[in-house]
Amino acid sequence: MQQTIRRHAPFWLSIFAGLALWEIAGRNSSPAFLVPFSETLVRLWQLIVGGDFIAQFLDSATLFITGFVIALAGGVPLGLLLARVRVLRVGVEPYLMTLYATPMVALIPFILSLMGFGFAPKVLVVFLFAVFPVLYNTVEGARSIKPELIEVAKSYRSSEWSLWREVMLPYTLPYIMTGVRQAIGRALVGMVAAEFFLSSTGLGQLIMGASQNFDTGGVFASILVIGLIGVGLMRLGLKIENHFARWRQ
Amino acid sequence: MTESTIGIPVPAAAARKISPSADRPFGTFMPRLLTGLGILLLWELVVRAFAPAYVAKPTTVILAIPRVIIDPAFLTATGQTLGAVAEGLAIALVAGTAIGLLMGRSVMFERAIRHYVNGFYAMPMIIVLPLFSLWFGYSGAARIATIIFAAIFSIIINAADGARSVPRDYLEVARAFRSDRLSMLVEIVLPSSVPYLLAGIRLAAGRALIGAVVAEFFLSVGGLGYFILYNSRTYHHDAAFVGVLLLAAFGVGFELLVVGCTRRFLPWYRRDEKAD
Repeated sequence: MQQTIRRHAPFWLSIFAGLALWEIAGRNSSPAFLVPFSETLVRLWQLIVGGDFIAQFLDSATLFITGFVIALAGGVPLGLLLARVRVLRVGVEPYLMTLYATPMVALIPFILSLMGFGFAPKVLVVFLFAVFPVLYNTVEGARSIKPELIEVAKSYRSSEWSLWREVMLPYTLPYIMTGVRQAIGRALVGMVAAEFFLSSTGLGQLIMGASQNFDTGGVFASILVIGLIGVGLMRLGLKIENHFARWRQ
Repeated sequence: MTESTIGIPVPAAAARKISPSADRPFGTFMPRLLTGLGILLLWELVVRAFAPAYVAKPTTVILAIPRVIIDPAFLTATGQTLGAVAEGLAIALVAGTAIGLLMGRSVMFERAIRHYVNGFYAMPMIIVLPLFSLWFGYSGAARIATIIFAAIFSIIINAADGARSVPRDYLEVARAFRSDRLSMLVEIVLPSSVPYLLAGIRLAAGRALIGAVVAEFFLSVGGLGYFILYNSRTYHHDAAFVGVLLLAAFGVGFELLVVGCTRRFLPWYRRDEKAD
């Protein structure tokens, strides 16, 4: 008990100090500039009770999950394939690296003018943001499979399918999870970017609307929520990654 | 994949070393060239068959390059974006290094702010844009602020990692010579954190570039991002795509520059190669 208190005390102390600082600074500056923490919470509560917030949140969550799942479902098999077929991997590798380093946001105007304002272009944006970390780490992991493992499987006349399912996938899983963690962060950026620059929906619309109405409280409330979602998802990603990292020697 | 101590991934971009070895049946050059040509051909054919004429395809983009790179509007835009990125990165580097080194050497300070640093780092950086547009107006100042916000946290985190990893012997020797805290920080902790700082800058530069482009989209401030947005809205996709190519070249080029600097000036430091 005492130990848990001692372990968590610095965390809560620093959080309380930060919130107090925010509150004091907010009370002493113009409300158009900085809204104190207490008023941000009040505004958040109003948004939640108004019903707007929940609907927007669900909208954003649908977008995030759809794009993310497609990125995972596309990136992992493609990554394993690239690792298995050497010519393919060597050929594709430099282009993969370039795409991994390219700022994907720059493609949003093209997606907008080609696909318009529907749900599909936004999913495409989230997908593009998320798929390369998954793909990259999957290739990286599958490449590091010891050739002996595959040779043993082959010498037991394992079929290609069971080789993938029983050797490659389990071995690569920890690496895939590293990709998943990175992809979570990127997909979140993609989600907000899609909601800002394509058709305006979800939490992105909430925060944009608040900013256009000079509703600083609403802006802070939305940033607080999206920030906490970001931190929460990052934690979740690290947990998942560490869980599977035990498999790695 | 190498992990730094607080779970921030070190970019594996250059973690891969590709060396030609005898057991490989093919060289690496031919498959790459063929794949590249194949991708371009596929793109060309798909666009020609299914898309309207204004959509960018390799042949028209290549034809657009000589026209665009002498276009004064393009050059101004490039200069504006690069200038803003350089300015923001410089500020983020100085401030971030100072904060990071302090964090690495002072337990109190570290405990006080580390949750905020990690929290802001995990936050999707573009959500601060509406707030910055309220604070700074739709101006270049808001863009600089966005770039700094995008870049500073990865520098802080890496600088703190670097400061924590200073060999204890160095500090003990300095203390035995009655060195004061400030000169210890500047003359021992800072130089021995340089490799970590370089890793931080590499991450930060990518994020700063994204921050600049996103800010220009959002704020309609002149620059490469706005050039892309404007040209794609007016159906000049080829010109807009030249802008994207330039951005990609900057992203990759900076990465190579930092890796090259590490190899050239810090040859004993092989954090990159450890990943394999």
